[in-house]
Amino acid sequence: MQAVRFHGRGGQGAKTASRILGTAAFLEGYQAQDSPIYGAERRGAPVAAFTRIAKEPIRERGLIARPDLVVIADASLIDDPAARVLDGIDERTAVFVNSSLTAEQLGAQTSHAGRLTTLDLTDIALQQFGKRGAISALLGAVAGRLVGLRRESIHEAIARELADFGLAAPVIERNQTVALQCYDAVRTVSVVAGAPQPIAPAQLQVPTYEPPTRGTARISAAANSVLRETGGWRTFRPVLVPDKCNGCWLCFAYCPDGVISMNKDDRPVIDYDHCKGCQICVHECPTEALVAEREKEGAVAWKAK
Amino acid sequence: MEGEMMTGNLAAAWGARLAGVDYVPAFPITPQTEIVEALAKWCENGAMAARFVTMDSEHSMMTAAGAAAATGARVFTATSSQGLLYAIEVLYSISGWRVPLVLVNVSRALAAPITLEPDHNDVLASRDCGFLQIHAETCQEVLDSILMAYRIAEDERVMLPVIVNLDGFYLSFTREPVIIPDPEQVKLFLPPFRPAHLGFKASAPHALGVAVLGGTPYSYFRHQMHLAAMNALDVHREAAAAFEQLFGRPYDVVEGYRLEDAEDVLVMTNAFASKGKGAVDVARAEGKRVGLLRLRMIRPWPADAICHALQGRRAVAVLDQNLSPGQGGILFQEIAACLYHEALRPRALCSFIGGLGGKNISEGELRAIFEQTAEAGIRGKGIGPVLLYTEAEHREMVQLQVLAAGSRAES
Repeated sequence: MQAVRFHGRGGQGAKTASRILGTAAFLEGYQAQDSPIYGAERRGAPVAAFTRIAKEPIRERGLIARPDLVVIADASLIDDPAARVLDGIDERTAVFVNSSLTAEQLGAQTSHAGRLTTLDLTDIALQQFGKRGAISALLGAVAGRLVGLRRESIHEAIARELADFGLAAPVIERNQTVALQCYDAVRTVSVVAGAPQPIAPAQLQVPTYEPPTRGTARISAAANSVLRETGGWRTFRPVLVPDKCNGCWLCFAYCPDGVISMNKDDRPVIDYDHCKGCQICVHECPTEALVAEREKEGAVAWKAK
Repeated sequence: MEGEMMTGNLAAAWGARLAGVDYVPAFPITPQTEIVEALAKWCENGAMAARFVTMDSEHSMMTAAGAAAATGARVFTATSSQGLLYAIEVLYSISGWRVPLVLVNVSRALAAPITLEPDHNDVLASRDCGFLQIHAETCQEVLDSILMAYRIAEDERVMLPVIVNLDGFYLSFTREPVIIPDPEQVKLFLPPFRPAHLGFKASAPHALGVAVLGGTPYSYFRHQMHLAAMNALDVHREAAAAFEQLFGRPYDVVEGYRLEDAEDVLVMTNAFASKGKGAVDVARAEGKRVGLLRLRMIRPWPADAICHALQGRRAVAVLDQNLSPGQGGILFQEIAACLYHEALRPRALCSFIGGLGGKNISEGELRAIFEQTAEAGIRGKGIGPVLLYTEAEHREMVQLQVLAAGSRAES
C-alpha cells in the first residue's frame, strides 16, 4: 500500500488533490481510499487529507501516521506545530513541498529525515491562471507522478473531480494542461511503499481522577485565543501603501478578525501575528492602498480589481 | 475496479434513491448534511420521484417521517448525534406504530464538550427504542444495508423501523469504490411497499399509538415489538441470501475475520473494524492466533451468532467506541450477558474503550489490546474498562489544561 498525506490550508485544494489522486489510482485498477480532516473548517486553517492506494483490500482508515509520501501545499505549514506536517516522516518518506526554494535550500532550513522535492506551484498558478486560488489539480498531478500513476489517469481524474465544482470546460482543460506541466516538471524521488516494520505496542496512560477545575471542559483563562497566532495561515499578506490611503476606515470595518486598528493619523495598523490573510481589506480598499504580497518569497504578487 | 469512488454519505443517498422512496423529510447536521444535499438535488432534478421537505428540527422531521410512513409511503431520512437525541422521543412513538421506515444515523459524539467527530454514544442512546440497528463498516455496506433494511423492515414478520449507522468522517467523508446496484435488480429485491395495517387516508380514519391504561395492553404491544425484532434475525438471513444471489455480496448479522483457529478474539463495530482487521493481519504474520468479530446487527442482538463465534476462545476483548459513565462499555455488557450461560465461555473477557470523539485508534494501541488480552487469557481473569489513551496524548492534554487555566507559569 502507498499512503499519501496531504497538508494544506483551507481553500488551497488539499482535499480535492487527495481525491484526484484517489480517482486516478482507482482508474488504474487499484483499491483506493481518500478522506479529509478539516479541523477548524475555515479558509486558511490547516487541513489534512489522506489517500491510500493498494492492490490488496485496504485495512486502514483515517489518519496516516506513517506516510510514504507527504505533499505540503504551503511551506509555511512546516513551521506550525499544530499542523503536524512532519509527524511520522523518516528517511524513507518522500516529501513534496510547494515552495520557490530548491529541495537543497529548503532541506537546509528544515529538520526532518524525509527525501525532499519542491516545485513552486503557487508561482505557476499565478503565471498560468493570473490569480491565486486553489492549486488542487497541480498538487494532485505532482502526487500522482511521485507515486507512479500515469498522465492519462491524472488527466481524467482532474476532469472528474473539478466537474463536481461545476467549473466550465475551458477552466478544467486549462487546469489539466497546467497540472500535467507540473507532472512533467517535478523532480521525482522514489516513493517506497509500506512501513518497514510493525509499530511497537502503545504505552497507555489512563488518566486518573482530577478535581473539576481540571477535569471539566472549561476555559478560565480570559482572552487566551490571542495565544494562538493565526498569522501563519496566510499565503498572502495585506500591505499598506501609505501614499494611497485616504483614511476612510473601510478596511477596519470589514476585517472579520478585528486585526486592523487605526492610528491617530487614520491609517490602518495590521496585527500580522493574527491576520489570516483573507484579503477582504485588499478587496474593499477603494484607493488600492492595500496590496497582497506573497508570504516568505516576498515580491508583490497580485493586486485586487 | 468496478464501481465509482464515493463517500459513505453519498452511498447512503444512493441507497435511498435506489429504494425508490416516496418521501424524505430532512434537517441538516454535520456530518450527515451531504446525504440530504444529494437527495435534495436528485428530487429537484427529477432523478428521484420522492417529495423532499426541509423541516424545522429533527423532532419534526421524525414526526413527519413516521406520519408519512403511516400512510403507506416508503420513507427515508437521516440525522446524527444531537439531532438523533432531539428526535428520540419520536423514535419510541413510531416504532410503536410499527412503521417500517429507514433512518440513517451518521455517528458523531455527543456534547458536552461538543465535537463533530464520531463515537457511538449517539446511536446506542437509541438502542432501546424499538428500531432495529445495522452498523456498517464500508461505504458499500452503507448502500447495501439500506436496501436490506427496507426489505427487513417491511416484512410482515417485522414491521419495525431500522437505523443504519455509519461513522462520521471515517465513512461519511471517506471515499472508496462503491458498486451501484442495477435499479431493475433492486426492484426484484425490494418489492413495492403494501402494508396491511397502515394506509391512513381521509376517507378511512384510524388511530395509531392509542392511549392504553392498566399495563395489560401496553405489555402486550411492547412484547409484540420484541417478538417482531427477534423475527428480524431470520428475516435478515433470508434477505441476505436473496441479496447475495442478486448482487453477489454476502452479509451476516456478525462478520468473523480470521477466526478459524483464533485463541483470542477482538470484538468491534463500524468503520474502525477495518483497522482491527489490519491489526489482526499484522499479529497473524507474527504467528499470533488472533481474530476479529464485527457486530453488524446490534438490534436485534444476535446472541446465538455471537456465542457461536466466541465460545471456546482463550480470551475476548470488546472494543467499545462509547462510554456509559459509571458502567463502562455498552457492548461489553451485552457480550458478557450472552456468554454467561456458555459452558465453553472464554477464560477472560476484557473491556477497552477507544475512539471516543473520533480519537484515532493507532496500530500501537491495537497491539497493546492484543498483548493485554493474551495476558488476561493466560491469567484467566479479564480487565477493564481500560481507556485507550497514550502517554503522548496524555502529555498533550496536560498542555491544553495549562492553556485553558491561563497558568502558563505552571508548565
